[in-house]
Amino acid sequence: MNDSLPGRYFLPGSARFVPARAEFRQGGLRISDPSDAVLAEAPLAQMQISARLGNMPRRFSLTDGACFETDDNDAADALLKQSGRARVGAIHRIEQSWRWVAASVLLAGAVAYVFVVFGIPAIALWLARETPQSVNPVIAAQELAVLDRALLAPTKLSAADQAKAQMLFAEVAARGQRAATGYRLLFRSAPGLGPNALALPDGTVVMTDALWPLVKADDEIQGVFAHEIAHVDRAHTLQSLYQAALVPAAIAIVTGDLSQISQVATVLPGVLLQAAYSRNLEQQADDDAAVTVKGLGGDPGHLADLLQRMEARICRGSSCPPSWLGTHPETSARAQRLRAGAPTSSTR
Amino acid sequence: MNDVLTAPFAPEIAPAPVAYRFQFRGTGREFFRIWIVNFALTLITVGIYSAWAKVRTRRYFYGNTALAGHTFDYHASPKRILMGRVIALLLLVGYTVASKLPLYVWIPTFLLFVGVVPWLIVSSARFNARNTSYRNVRFEFVGDYLHALGAYVGIFVPVVLTLGFAWPMAHRERQYFYINNHKYGGKRFATEFSGSSIYAVYFEALLFLVACGLGLSLLVVFLGLSDTTRSLLTKISANRSIAGVTFLFAWMIAYTFIRADVFLLSINNMVLNGRFKFIAVHSPWKIVWLWASNLLLVLLTAGLLYPWARVRMTRYMVENVTILADSDFESFTSEVFAPQSAVGEEIAGFFDFDIGL
Repeated sequence: MNDSLPGRYFLPGSARFVPARAEFRQGGLRISDPSDAVLAEAPLAQMQISARLGNMPRRFSLTDGACFETDDNDAADALLKQSGRARVGAIHRIEQSWRWVAASVLLAGAVAYVFVVFGIPAIALWLARETPQSVNPVIAAQELAVLDRALLAPTKLSAADQAKAQMLFAEVAARGQRAATGYRLLFRSAPGLGPNALALPDGTVVMTDALWPLVKADDEIQGVFAHEIAHVDRAHTLQSLYQAALVPAAIAIVTGDLSQISQVATVLPGVLLQAAYSRNLEQQADDDAAVTVKGLGGDPGHLADLLQRMEARICRGSSCPPSWLGTHPETSARAQRLRAGAPTSSTR
Repeated sequence: MNDVLTAPFAPEIAPAPVAYRFQFRGTGREFFRIWIVNFALTLITVGIYSAWAKVRTRRYFYGNTALAGHTFDYHASPKRILMGRVIALLLLVGYTVASKLPLYVWIPTFLLFVGVVPWLIVSSARFNARNTSYRNVRFEFVGDYLHALGAYVGIFVPVVLTLGFAWPMAHRERQYFYINNHKYGGKRFATEFSGSSIYAVYFEALLFLVACGLGLSLLVVFLGLSDTTRSLLTKISANRSIAGVTFLFAWMIAYTFIRADVFLLSINNMVLNGRFKFIAVHSPWKIVWLWASNLLLVLLTAGLLYPWARVRMTRYMVENVTILADSDFESFTSEVFAPQSAVGEEIAGFFDFDIGL
């Protein structure tokens, strides 16, 4: 017979082998030695047959720990076809075709792009919305405690300034998605932060003392409040928390074995991605703030003025990171967008 | 090292030692096609195919690694790996989220993790060993949870008490735990090396970091005279992110060097069955160079050169290892049997979780 498969037969559980050949006989494989003595015979259905891959030897594992191994992959495929198996080595054929390989390159690029740009933020947003509201005060209390310990000190603003700011804040808060009591404004002195404001997920907005002297018009600071309240209303804290968790998870799943090259290759794209996601959230908050300020009869361009004054104070020269590393978009771009009258914010 | 003590005395006329060199037959061109097709399939199936992709990748690298005319093979069931990955993913997400929560949530989660990690290490080592074969005989890993807990967690007690000075010894403990618990055909692998040799590795890495710092300072002193370079350097040092990345890179080089050199130390002192000696003739700095240049190539080509990078590194790592056999290696391997317990694959752990030794 010409259709016998040349190879090696390893004795059960042993590294010892004898030259052998295999033939397809009545639904099974007959393995015999060069002198035609039968070494083993078993139905194909009871064997574990390794999938074809490159030009690696093909393995037929028997249940007793014996194994028949052949270097002739084409003949092994032919034998399997003869036995009535469909789709023999389908993945292998795709891997061998340069046309499929080219298609894979394009497809991988497109899918990865769509998933990174739309997929992860969408999943994170969905998770953020599904998360019970009750976690927000817990996270906020924790964050504020950490900030108070590390960066913040009691405010030195006068009672009059505080009352003025609270009044302006209340006007903005009335336009938020929650009841006006759902938001509160706190003052802190923070030499390390400079002029800044930040939002906590329970509706708390913290303003640093250094911001107040920079404000030249009421609608300027109201723009900042509106920006922070937009972060609260859109659950941005939770969303970025989930994004932070999903990015390394997605990279780990997709690359699986990239660790061989280095963790850096997986960590670096993760860091850049997180910064990019954060810039998107900031832009959303800016757009929302523009709408709120306009609704109050103010000018979103004034928020732009304040942002530029804040940047001049914080960065002083060249110490601000380049925009592709930053968590906020370039201030000039933010200002331009605010002044141009940002497109009506997509409210979902 | 009981094996050595109980080994029979060498015969009067020792047979000439035979060197068996490991070979790697894979090519970047061939692996590229396998990798990109499996990568695309992974993306279309939202990551599910990644388990199958992993098995094919492993099989490609094991199957192209040859010793004395025979290749290695990898037998893991992709479904098992998928299950392990789902659990590992849940753990990862849970861990990341918990780290942002209050301390009374975070600390118990952290302690739970500390308890789970040694178990993950043991079961993944067992899983990988049982699913790796050479000449129809599978490897085994016989380390247990308690010893792993000692080698990976308990070891931190002396490390903390000595303000980190005991860390190289801890590193050696881990190498011992990993290598000395591996078996092939019921015969143990064993490695042993002096504490001073591993401290020498760490010292060399420290010298490198100090030299980097000195070099940078000298650069500032000598080039700092011209106005443009001075302003450039101030810009770089003022920019925390760039300085951070530079520091991180120097740190990664030192880390890679330590890993590579400790790996070489372990292999060069390793014996199988008390008599087959392993020799590794790599240069640790060549490994660092391959790592750094590969990283650059992969990042610059958005990952497209990854298959070539990986083949390049694997070829260098594999082809510089030799087994020195003092008796006929062929007769040893053909006498090897898989112990009964290794056949029962079902006992193997659920997890496949690379710790990347």
